[in-house]
Amino acid sequence: MKMLAWIAGVILLMGMYVVTIYNKLIGLIEAINNNKKQIDIQLDRRFKVFQSLIEVVKKYMDYEQTTLKDVVALRGQAQAAQSSGDEAGRMAAENGISKIATGLNLVFEQYPDLKANQNVMQLQEEIVNTENKLTFAKQSFNDSIERFNATKKSFFESLIVSFFTSKLDKSFEYWGFSSEQETKDKENYSVKL
Amino acid sequence: MGGAKFTPGSVDWRAVLKENSRKTLSVMVTFVLIYTALGVMTDITIALGLYPQLTIKQAFQLLLQLQIFPYATLSMFVVALIALLITIKLHDKIMLMGTDYFEVTPETARDIDEKQLYNVVEEMKVSAGLRFMPRIYLIEANYMNALASGFSEKSAMVAITRGLMTKLNRAELQAVMAHELSHVRHQDIKLTLMVGVLSNLMLMVVDILFYNAIFGQNQNSDGGRGNPLTMIIILLRYGLPLVTVLLMLYLSRTREYMADMGAVELMRDNESLAKALLKIQEDHECHVDEYHEEYGRTRHEEFRNAAYIFEPSSFDPVKSIMTLLSTHPSVEDRLKAMGCHIEHSSD
Repeated sequence: MKMLAWIAGVILLMGMYVVTIYNKLIGLIEAINNNKKQIDIQLDRRFKVFQSLIEVVKKYMDYEQTTLKDVVALRGQAQAAQSSGDEAGRMAAENGISKIATGLNLVFEQYPDLKANQNVMQLQEEIVNTENKLTFAKQSFNDSIERFNATKKSFFESLIVSFFTSKLDKSFEYWGFSSEQETKDKENYSVKL
Repeated sequence: MGGAKFTPGSVDWRAVLKENSRKTLSVMVTFVLIYTALGVMTDITIALGLYPQLTIKQAFQLLLQLQIFPYATLSMFVVALIALLITIKLHDKIMLMGTDYFEVTPETARDIDEKQLYNVVEEMKVSAGLRFMPRIYLIEANYMNALASGFSEKSAMVAITRGLMTKLNRAELQAVMAHELSHVRHQDIKLTLMVGVLSNLMLMVVDILFYNAIFGQNQNSDGGRGNPLTMIIILLRYGLPLVTVLLMLYLSRTREYMADMGAVELMRDNESLAKALLKIQEDHECHVDEYHEEYGRTRHEEFRNAAYIFEPSSFDPVKSIMTLLSTHPSVEDRLKAMGCHIEHSSD
């Protein structure tokens, strides 16, 4: 009788342990999903900021028309890739917009009187802010994937994952450059001025 | 002024964070153990008073078996809990006391510097995956310093002096704010308050025991035997304050290292924070008298001392001798922990 009680106690404890790990892994997966949505939010915000930025810059410089077209085209590409589930293509297109942002800031550097302009300084700050938020959102996303993968692959956790494969055995792709060719494309991209 | 050569390096922030959380845990366990031991001692003292025929060992055993109920230990924990809740509730009000401050929001930002300040904090919030945006205060002062308080949506805040905001570049400003935000993320305020409340209560209990032992003994000196714990109580009365202070300082320094590493974690860059710390230190060295006077003019500075990113007293020649008693590690040690090195040259 006493033996039975002991066994029941051990089983109860083990059950509680399994539930804790299960809940922890679910929490980590949801964190990844949320962080991914954060990237979407930042990408969306960036597109809107860029549209209005280029509208403003047009008053000072007449060549921005092509840049705006590039941004709109890349954004279109990204959205098409997203709806067809092509994550790599989407990342490539969005990264292309980042390149343009860097280029825009370089343009400002070339015009000293433009650089001193209060409005332009605000625009520059806005560009840096937008790009940084996006970068940090990606970083946060990758970190949450790292935490999930590390937990999923460690001992005991991996056992429990193999029990509940459909719910827990998810795999996520880190946000980054996906292939060598794409990296080359990005290196060669130049802003048409 | 000695010139310093700065060499950036790399750091495994995951490891440093882990090591320092382990240290924090050991400090907290020590605190709770001392507190419990004190409670048990009080209970034994009470038990010995009630049943003079008991020995200490017997009283202790009876307490363990709950045959004598440990009222003192329990009530000490209840009091600690209540005191802690009250301090946490009141705390965010006193952090900015005596300063001339201004809350920065996207709507109230008056110039591009303030807008930038808001932006860098918001970026760090994104990076930390924080669910709330802390309030941001700008303190109108020339010295370079920053501080953080709170841990929840309601109480979280970071504050920075105008001197710091204008003298640092964007990346350095971001690094400092990342350090402050890391204090919020790591819930350092909760820890500091908990340790503070526990040690104050401990000292109060020891005081009560002490006077009880001294005067209680005099009263029944005719026949009764005094508390056999008197010797220990006297030792505690003079030794415990030192122990708690050292533990608190150790904890505080550990949390500083952790906040530094938290900043590196958020920015994936250790150079900006290192440069910011060096700039703050040099600036303080250049303006010792001026800043000393300005800190002196600001009231209630003592509440903020431990919360600052840079400890103002560390440039004070008298206090700097007592580096052992400082709440912050030296800038040099902090840089070393971040994987950066500075070499002092003679000119």
